[in-house]
Amino acid sequence: MSVTLLDFARGPAMQWALIIFVFGMVWRLVGVWGLRHKADHSQPRVTQGVWKRGLRAVFVRVLPYPEFAPKVQGQYWISYVFHLGFFIVLLFFVPHILFFEDILGFGWPGLPNNVIFFVGGITVAALMVALIKRILNPVTRMMSNFDDYFAWFVTIAPVVTGLLVNANLIPNYELMLAIHILSFQLLLIYLPFGKLMHGFWLMVSRWTTAVRFARRGGLS
Amino acid sequence: MKKADTLGDELRRQGISRRTFLKFCAAMATSMALPASMAPVMADALAATRRQSVIWLSFQECTGCTESILRSYAPSIESLIFDFISLDYHHTLQAAAGRAAEDARDQAMQENWGKYLVIVDGSIPLKDGGIYSTIDGHTNLETLETVAAGAAALISVGTCAAYGGLPMARPNPTGAVGVDEIIKDKPVINLPGCPPIPEVMTGTIASFLTFGRLPEMDRLGRPVAFFGDTIHDRCYRRPLYERGKFARGFDDEGARKGWCLYALGCKGPITYNACATIKWNQGQSFPIQSGHGCLGCSEPRFWDKDSFYKPLSATHWGNAAGLAAAAAAGAAVGAGVAVLSRRHQDTIAKGE
Amino acid sequence: MTDPIIEHAVDMESKRFGLKKPMVRYDTQGEMSDAERVKKAMQHFAKDFGYVAATYMESCVHCGICANACHFYVTTGDPKYTPIWKIEPFKQAYKREAGPFAFFYKLFNLKHKVTVEELEAWQELIYDSCTMCGRCTLACPMSIDIASLVGMARHAMFHAGLVPHELWAVALKAEEEGSPLGANPKVFKERIRWMEDEHEVDMYIDKEQADILVCMSSIEIQKYPKSMADTAKVLNYLGLSWTFHTEGYEATNFGLLSGNLDWQKDMSQKIIDTAIKIKAKTVLLPECGHAYQAMRWHGANMYGQSLPFTVVHISEFLADAVEQGKLKLRTVGKTAAFHDPCQVSRRGGATQAPRKIIEALGIELREPASSGDFNWCCGGGGGVITIHRADELRYKAMELKLKQMDSTRAHLMLTSCSNCRQNFDDSGEHLAWGRKIESLLELVADNLIEDK
Repeated sequence: MSVTLLDFARGPAMQWALIIFVFGMVWRLVGVWGLRHKADHSQPRVTQGVWKRGLRAVFVRVLPYPEFAPKVQGQYWISYVFHLGFFIVLLFFVPHILFFEDILGFGWPGLPNNVIFFVGGITVAALMVALIKRILNPVTRMMSNFDDYFAWFVTIAPVVTGLLVNANLIPNYELMLAIHILSFQLLLIYLPFGKLMHGFWLMVSRWTTAVRFARRGGLS
Repeated sequence: MKKADTLGDELRRQGISRRTFLKFCAAMATSMALPASMAPVMADALAATRRQSVIWLSFQECTGCTESILRSYAPSIESLIFDFISLDYHHTLQAAAGRAAEDARDQAMQENWGKYLVIVDGSIPLKDGGIYSTIDGHTNLETLETVAAGAAALISVGTCAAYGGLPMARPNPTGAVGVDEIIKDKPVINLPGCPPIPEVMTGTIASFLTFGRLPEMDRLGRPVAFFGDTIHDRCYRRPLYERGKFARGFDDEGARKGWCLYALGCKGPITYNACATIKWNQGQSFPIQSGHGCLGCSEPRFWDKDSFYKPLSATHWGNAAGLAAAAAAGAAVGAGVAVLSRRHQDTIAKGE
Repeated sequence: MTDPIIEHAVDMESKRFGLKKPMVRYDTQGEMSDAERVKKAMQHFAKDFGYVAATYMESCVHCGICANACHFYVTTGDPKYTPIWKIEPFKQAYKREAGPFAFFYKLFNLKHKVTVEELEAWQELIYDSCTMCGRCTLACPMSIDIASLVGMARHAMFHAGLVPHELWAVALKAEEEGSPLGANPKVFKERIRWMEDEHEVDMYIDKEQADILVCMSSIEIQKYPKSMADTAKVLNYLGLSWTFHTEGYEATNFGLLSGNLDWQKDMSQKIIDTAIKIKAKTVLLPECGHAYQAMRWHGANMYGQSLPFTVVHISEFLADAVEQGKLKLRTVGKTAAFHDPCQVSRRGGATQAPRKIIEALGIELREPASSGDFNWCCGGGGGVITIHRADELRYKAMELKLKQMDSTRAHLMLTSCSNCRQNFDDSGEHLAWGRKIESLLELVADNLIEDK
């Protein structure tokens, strides 16, 4: 019965999703960090502030270098639209803030619902475009595997179900709400195990490369 | 047993004009989502109906539902409907007591076998042979099964009769269940609520009297006419929800300005009922209007669902210690896996 | 398969200095079963594996942006040349064998075991179509250093006996003869003496002690010997204590390019030992990109500890001298375009050095689009130029390069990498470029003001 499903989603499912999320994420990060670190004996060209360069790179590389921008900025735009859209909806829809407030003990001001629905709609559209581009571009089509498509699915699912909950298209509100919460939990559970983990790796990877090349005096 | 009059006779005796009665029927039709042209048909049908024998069974209940039905400050047509039906058996309301009361019920059953309406309030205990609630030496289960056998239809009034209600709340010591868990071979309609709205009860009875059958029901056995929308969908504070205006306390600025009570745990979005439209006490008010969020009392298992004051979107996410433990476990497993991976790397690198 | 009959003849006639085109290609080496090849590949891939490589393997989001940075993809449009795709089998092997969830990948066979067919198919991607120029690293939103991963993949491929014919042969020659292209110590000495006479410059060889050990690449020794004389000329001009040394002179490192870590170590060790022996304070590397990568950045790691001397590229050395006012140069005037050697600029960190020298020569530097750290690779580095099979690919990449250089409409075309230079010579001829790229070092040597 759907009533039970909502209770399940708000109760045990949420607990386990969070536990698996934290557990898997730490497991993966520590599992990689725990591999051998090799000392670089070469004489560094730069010794001062190498770690600052690493930190800087995490932010600088948010945008493509102007060198590559003409060719890749479309792709950047689309991904930023759905990334930002996703996070705006996640963090500024008032019921979501209440969710975080319950966990963190503090909240923040939200945005009106119509703004959220608008952003959510754009997010879905951008994700659709991203998928179509992935399939149409021979490079990404060749490289894509299950992870790519499933990661896409678990990203778009909470947004779509969230919009459906509030659009009242499905008469059974609590069933839809339960599905929405469960779809978010699917995202949480899958995140540490697939490419969605890039949210964390991007910091590690950018930092690693930047530090390696900073000591050479090179660009990264 | 009095000679049965028609409802029309009763109305005339009470001095109710046809005009007033038509107005009532129009309101009834509207609330039940029937076309307006049905009002005169309904009026004629109702006026011609004969007294309906009703047997009211009270099981594990608090009499709140009866209170709700009787709560009329001014004589109304709703109350007249109750005056008109032949309430042949009702613990609280009937004059007879003891053996005489039980005999009255048996007689009503015999005389109206297959035609009488059974209204139940309260849940039925099943645990330990149903011994937790008995009347005249019979368990509620026995009584229900016996009476239901000759019923035309059953109406479960209140959340207890409909879904088990409070007696069923964890840990459900009596093994309480609702009527439709037991009676499968008769039409049963659920009118949940703690208590249900009086108009929902009269409306449903009127519908039965008019059409001779129970109205259209949803997947939880509720009349669609009254339970088709959520409180949230019909709430006058809904625009404030859309605008993100939420009261964060019962005496803050938001509360005084009448903002949405979602953040205070209102269950309106998952509660199907007519409170926001029909309201209570002759359309006077309903919980949200008086400043408190909906408890979701007409939904199955509402008592066990959650804190009344926890927002719907907040969850039982566990606790920080649990997540810290998960992180620690993740770190331990990660480190272990890294060690294994290093060993495996050495094995591969040795070429063995 | 029997041992390949390797045509070892060095082609001295062609603009591209390398081995003659083999009559029959043997792109598989050694007698091994398929299973053994895969095992060897994994063995040598694992050897060098660590946290950094693992982070990169984890980070890829399959966005395909790196393709836009690769000269081989851009000029062919073939998706298989997408940089990160070049290490796909190793990415899979990592997930299956070493990653934090390796257990699950193996248990459910989510990533299958790499097959010898895959490795064979990937040979072209790992060797023919990657110069390890690292341009993709700058394009990657995750900053994945794909070039370093290709380097690791080459370790695997070498030991699996899956190296392109010519690259394997030159690496073997380098290990056995001390030079990949016939510049053995005897030849080296002869050519130094020849240059000494030809250019009337004192050239020191095998001095017992010197501050600077000067290394050369086979390409210069055999094809651009004037570079040797010009290096001597500059060093003498500065009055420095220096020497060539027959025990350690070959700066190219085909161990690195082919993927044999042991050979790479051997080759670096020769220079390191010699430098220590003559108590050199500096090892001066010639105009060669991968030589710089091998000694400047890998050298100490081959040695296992920090080196007791500094390693400088000739362009860095000249730039220093210019900055300190020790080199007086004639004003050349004119305009120039400079081709940055990837291993010195982008991956070496010495991008500014040649620019300082060009300024000192009074030359107006015209930077084309995509220069400096973002420079388009010439397409011949990383051993690619030795592989005849890759010629068409290399010429295509060079078309892009030449277009870029031509866009400056500069008088002079300059570089400071003899491998890039020979690729410009070879491809330039093939593509009827009608121009010639010059060595920055030679330009400096030709314009010294000898007022002492």
